[in-house]
Amino acid sequence: MEATTAMRTSPPAWRANLATIAALMARAKNELIRVPGAAIPGVLAPTIFFLGLNGVFGALTQLQGFETGSYESFIVPVSMLQGAGFTGAAAGVNLARDYEGGWVDRLLVSPAPRWVLLTGGVLAASLRSLVPATFVLGIAFLLGAQWPGLDGLVVCYLMVAATAAVAACWGSMLALRYKSQSAAPLMQAGMMALVLFTPAYAPTELLQPWLEKVAEINPMTQVLEAARQGFVGDVTWADTWPGLVAIAGLLAVLGALALREMRRTNV
Amino acid sequence: MSDLASTARVVRALGARSIRQTFRRPQLISPIVVFPTLLLAVQTGGASAGVELPGFPPVQSFLQFMLAGAMMQSMMLAGNSGGIAFAVDIEMGFTDRLFAAPIPRFAIVLGRLAGTAALGLFASIWFLVIGLVFGAEIEGGVPGALLAMALVTASALAVGGIGAAIALRSGSASVVQGLFPLVLVVLFLSSAFFPQELMIEPAKTIAEYNPLSFIVEGVREPIIAGIDATHTLEAVAAILGIVVLGLVLSARALRHRLRVG
Amino acid sequence: MPAIVVEGLERAFGEVLAVQGIDLQVDEGEIYGFLGPNGAGKTTTVRMLTTLLLPTGGSASVAGHDVVAEARQVRSTIGVALQEAALDPLMTGRELIRLQATLQGLPPARGRERADGLLERVGLSHAADRRVGTYSGGMQRRLDLAAALVHEPRVLFLDEPTTGLDPVSRKTIWEEVRALNDEGTTVFLTTQYLEEADQLADNVGIIDSGLIVAEGTPEALKEEVGNPHVELLVGEGAVAEAERVCAALGKLLPPKDGKRVLLEVANGAADVPRVVRALDEAGIVVESLELVRPSLDDVFVAKTGHHLEKEESAGGDEEPVGA
Repeated sequence: MEATTAMRTSPPAWRANLATIAALMARAKNELIRVPGAAIPGVLAPTIFFLGLNGVFGALTQLQGFETGSYESFIVPVSMLQGAGFTGAAAGVNLARDYEGGWVDRLLVSPAPRWVLLTGGVLAASLRSLVPATFVLGIAFLLGAQWPGLDGLVVCYLMVAATAAVAACWGSMLALRYKSQSAAPLMQAGMMALVLFTPAYAPTELLQPWLEKVAEINPMTQVLEAARQGFVGDVTWADTWPGLVAIAGLLAVLGALALREMRRTNV
Repeated sequence: MSDLASTARVVRALGARSIRQTFRRPQLISPIVVFPTLLLAVQTGGASAGVELPGFPPVQSFLQFMLAGAMMQSMMLAGNSGGIAFAVDIEMGFTDRLFAAPIPRFAIVLGRLAGTAALGLFASIWFLVIGLVFGAEIEGGVPGALLAMALVTASALAVGGIGAAIALRSGSASVVQGLFPLVLVVLFLSSAFFPQELMIEPAKTIAEYNPLSFIVEGVREPIIAGIDATHTLEAVAAILGIVVLGLVLSARALRHRLRVG
Repeated sequence: MPAIVVEGLERAFGEVLAVQGIDLQVDEGEIYGFLGPNGAGKTTTVRMLTTLLLPTGGSASVAGHDVVAEARQVRSTIGVALQEAALDPLMTGRELIRLQATLQGLPPARGRERADGLLERVGLSHAADRRVGTYSGGMQRRLDLAAALVHEPRVLFLDEPTTGLDPVSRKTIWEEVRALNDEGTTVFLTTQYLEEADQLADNVGIIDSGLIVAEGTPEALKEEVGNPHVELLVGEGAVAEAERVCAALGKLLPPKDGKRVLLEVANGAADVPRVVRALDEAGIVVESLELVRPSLDDVFVAKTGHHLEKEESAGGDEEPVGA
């Protein structure tokens, strides 16, 4: 095989891959920094949900079965995960937009491995999700939410970032399959369902039996419980590891599915 | 053919177009059907224990209580979607084609609103059916169900008028889309999802004066208790207030658009 | 070694056969013009050759690599500027070229160097740090071309690079394509403009309804459809006499109007002096004389029975591209 100029002067593959991921993340950053007000909808939606749910359902803590008397503390991890879901799904919407505009072709005709092309967008969504999460958390603290401890905060942020990555994989998978922004509602609704069909509004024992069953098999329940533990009690390994396993499983499955769609774009 | 008949035909044709447009674009239909249904499921499954709180009005189930809220959410988002679709028409120059046609200008706005009202009617039927399928009873019987449907349809028309006015004034789909969070705020600050007396301050006080609370109670009463004149009249008054506001804003925005081109 | 070899290449979208088993070969260092109306199968072919779309039949190789089995090697070797000039309006020109360099696996220093050089080359140095969204259509196409060149590809695919551009921007792109070709780059160019194919291409393939209907050098294709002719405008009342004189020199073609005489000349320009002399000797005043060669449109008409550019102005049907 005759080597091309580019191949002869190429850096080692891992370094080229890292450089590509970093370059794609830098491009994704433009969306946030160069479009005035672009960050607002992503921050606004979970904030409104947080304030709204708190105002509407706050009295639920009077019921027996709540570990905390502060609904702000109970609901804030849900809003942070919801914000991560919105942000991750938005990465899918952006990918669909890029597909419609022809930008994705530019990526696909490059020799960069497909997983590298996917990872750039997913990691960017992960980092971006920290913005709405931090905003909502700040408001929650102002309203009197319990300090989760440093360990609780770290676990919560880890779950938020990983949930955004899961959502980005889900959104990217749909974007690459349907190649159209028309799939946006499916991306958003899918993540909304995943995050909310959990003990989001009330502890498991207060849920209706059907939702209790759904929440039991929904891996996001473990993720939410891990993210919530510091806000409603102590942080324990027993409440943390199931969340880690669940999120790793979700990432592995949805990541593989997204990658499969990326490899199938030329079908 | 008389002028009135021809105007009615235009309104019907434009209304039919706006309904088709909504059903053919997932971005427009899903906020009206998918998201409110999803939220209804989540809130019913998650917060149903709330009916045990002291002060909660007597209801057969939390689902029965929530139906009116889901209809309100769907209706508000139908108004917003209608506004977005109208603004897209303006951006694409489609409304210029209509403005250049020999039809009354108000018929163009009315055509769009007829479509939104039809979506409101669809939303009310959709959630009544969901309620019935999952065991909720309509205490007001058939007349109660019809009253709820009529109030939701009328309020879709009223809210749609405000969406159309903003679309006409701004001519930008992204501006109307930007109202989406505001729709959520208005909903959360009303008694759509929980009894107003059990809400937390300051949401509780705001909900007491929010016109949407009056409409939602007017729709809810025939479902959870039976037809009640006071609630119905309060709902009608609130809808009329929004209609007048929508008409004034739409007329001014239409004049503005024709003046600036 | 040929740069591109295509054998029996097919692509179906459901029931529709967009490309119906085409064969073609492009030699290294050649500019190949792929000419056809909208919806003929040009873009589908390019998408298959650039690994963006899987063929449903036949085979193709680019720079010696199979487009299906060795897609990654193909991608390392080719540069692609697609029809939409897919650019991110939020990035600056310089950022975009550097990103492309990274995607192609170039080390950062080399990427920076290439970006500066290419922006200079396509005349965008002054706008390098402006956002692409502020560029004119011509500037965007030039930037797209520069991005396609960042890794010094051996084979460059240009899908309708000048569609929608003004004449000045079009000429600039043509000059750049010629210069690249002079440096040894093989160019596969799709176009719906006859003049573009005629001006640039060493070889032309004409595609219509998914089939290649003619292939060869522009000159050979035009010769194939007939000889050139001279178009004579003579003084009023002299038309009949001129026709009598010309009939003795060769074949008369059906007249366009009552003022002109059309005479086929087998030897082209070499026959012109003979015609002028004969008319002069007969005392006929020639007001103007034009030697008209067959155009690629004549070739297109001869092969497909319809005009190319007429269809283009009518818009034509969009070709399915795998979405």
